[in-house]
Amino acid sequence: MLTFAELFSYIYQYFDNIGFLILASAGLILIFGMMGVINMAHGELMMIGAYITAFTYHAGVPAPLAILLAGIGAGIFGMILERLIICHFYNKLLSSLVVTWGLSLMISQGFLLIFGPSVLNVPTPFGGFAVGDLSFGVYRLVLFAVSLGLVAAVWALFAFTAFGAHARATMENPEMAEALGIETRKIYSLTFGLGAALGGVAGGMFALTAAISPFFGNEYTPLAFITVVIGGSANIISGLIASALYLAGVQTVATNVFNQYFGYVLMMGAAFIILLMMPRGFSEYFERSKVRRLKWHELALDRAEDA
Amino acid sequence: MQPTLDRWLGRLNGPQTTGHGPAFWVASLVVILGFAFLPQFVSRYQVITFSNYMISALLALSLCLIWGYCGILSLGQAAFFGIGGYAYGIVALNLLRDHGNTDIAFLAGMIVPMLFAAVVGAIMFFARLQGVYVAILTLVISLLLGTFMRQTADPSYTIGAAYLGGMNGLRPASPNDPLLPSLIFGLGDWVWEFDGRSVAFYYFTLCVLVLAYLAFRWLVNSSYGYLLIGCREDIERTETFGYDVRLIQISVFCISAGIAGLAGTLYAAWGTYIHPDGFAVAPNILVVIWVAVGGRKDPAAAILGAIGLSWLSVRLTALGEISLFVQGAILVLVMLIAPDGIITTLARLIERTFAVRGRPIKT
Repeated sequence: MLTFAELFSYIYQYFDNIGFLILASAGLILIFGMMGVINMAHGELMMIGAYITAFTYHAGVPAPLAILLAGIGAGIFGMILERLIICHFYNKLLSSLVVTWGLSLMISQGFLLIFGPSVLNVPTPFGGFAVGDLSFGVYRLVLFAVSLGLVAAVWALFAFTAFGAHARATMENPEMAEALGIETRKIYSLTFGLGAALGGVAGGMFALTAAISPFFGNEYTPLAFITVVIGGSANIISGLIASALYLAGVQTVATNVFNQYFGYVLMMGAAFIILLMMPRGFSEYFERSKVRRLKWHELALDRAEDA
Repeated sequence: MQPTLDRWLGRLNGPQTTGHGPAFWVASLVVILGFAFLPQFVSRYQVITFSNYMISALLALSLCLIWGYCGILSLGQAAFFGIGGYAYGIVALNLLRDHGNTDIAFLAGMIVPMLFAAVVGAIMFFARLQGVYVAILTLVISLLLGTFMRQTADPSYTIGAAYLGGMNGLRPASPNDPLLPSLIFGLGDWVWEFDGRSVAFYYFTLCVLVLAYLAFRWLVNSSYGYLLIGCREDIERTETFGYDVRLIQISVFCISAGIAGLAGTLYAAWGTYIHPDGFAVAPNILVVIWVAVGGRKDPAAAILGAIGLSWLSVRLTALGEISLFVQGAILVLVMLIAPDGIITTLARLIERTFAVRGRPIKT
């Protein structure tokens, strides 16, 4: 029989996995959805965030501020990268993939040269609590809450601010946006910086739970890529949430029934199934069914008028 | 001279590959002879390293075919290399005692990756996935295979006389079983053995590479090659002409996996070991670097890129751990300055310089 503690444990794991996927892929899907670039160096931006968090934390900065600094640092670094290199690869999907992969190699190897392979640690805050005879960490729930908060913040930013409107206009039609006086270069730069900053914050948050080394990003990137690919680029918010809910569900069940490795493999299989049904990911499918519904609605209205 | 050349090499020449005139073929022959006489001038250790460069070049050819010609970027090309190596090793360990040769293992090293590619390719291309989707999925598949192979240290992971061995790589299941062999070809009473550390093995890899290069030229200049280009340039238009682009993509994916598997087989035979690190990020990205830096739209450029960068990487190792960093930097710079690759750009310059006297080629 399923005890309450076990049930709670499953829900806890599910939330934990959702938070993990959203945090790891939020910046990636933002850049993919807005600019059509898959940033292979995303894991390295997270790694930079983790290093900044670790160094500032050990220098005496409180953890939340250290994570914020990680976001700012990674964001600035991302904007520099965009200005120097990535801006030459818009509308060249595969080339941008290759060049960002080269950057990821440079960044991780550069950090390895500077800081060596030694591992940094930051203690996990908040301790734990017990339900029945199982114990849980509070920080995992904080991660989940923060991931939701970040999604809400990104949504609000693009839905309600002038920057958001300009950014959406630029993505829709760059020439027209420019003709209307929007500085598209700046918009691209800021959007990429924002994606990088989200990566930095995620890296900072994960830094409190994991060992930090130059290859910190490798653990997160494959899952982040899968989340982004099946989320799709049509609508970053709905895509990200649907994809995280779905993949985390598969992962939680599969990890409990089999083991962690099969959790990954079945997630992969589940992602394949989604791509077979919706080749451009969840969000494109949602958008299309919305359009279909609207058309249906219009048709019904026309008929009503005719009658 | 051109008509004679056309008669003998007509099917190898065409607009899909750089170089077609007498000058090009003479230069190619000089380069091949240069590699053939190499063992006379360098130490035995360097000959062994050069065998590995030839294997790398073969792997680069496999990516050049799908990326440069068909527009399918596979970021997980090392997966097929690794599968080929493991397949060769597992079959060789099991059959060596009974057969005394590795004929079947050698074939398995090519066929198993092709079958794997057929399954993965069928799923991906029938779902009409393209571009970044294929790129990411191939990479994730490679990483997952690596994760799987890494956790096979448990003694229960044995296939006959082969023990997968987790991080330590493939090894015999028990001390009584034979070790992972180098290539041994047998036909009736004849036995040819190529020890991975020998000069003979170097010549064998060189021959395989030259044959693969010629076969590659024949393939991409055939009508099939035009279909590949069609898929790369405009997939909808190719489909409108009545071709099933999915079958083209799956078939080229399989051929490429076969070439990568052949490279993996040679690698496993060369070092007589194969281990899970072959599936990690680094080997996958190196293949992309070789092909992108050399030139993805020409087999000779990809081969020279692979050999040149592998050689550079060994040189740089002497200066400390900077090899991967420098190769990443080279990739970024080349993508910025010469997006079609260094060798291809140089070849175009040379072609333009001599273009006045050149004549249009027959296709």
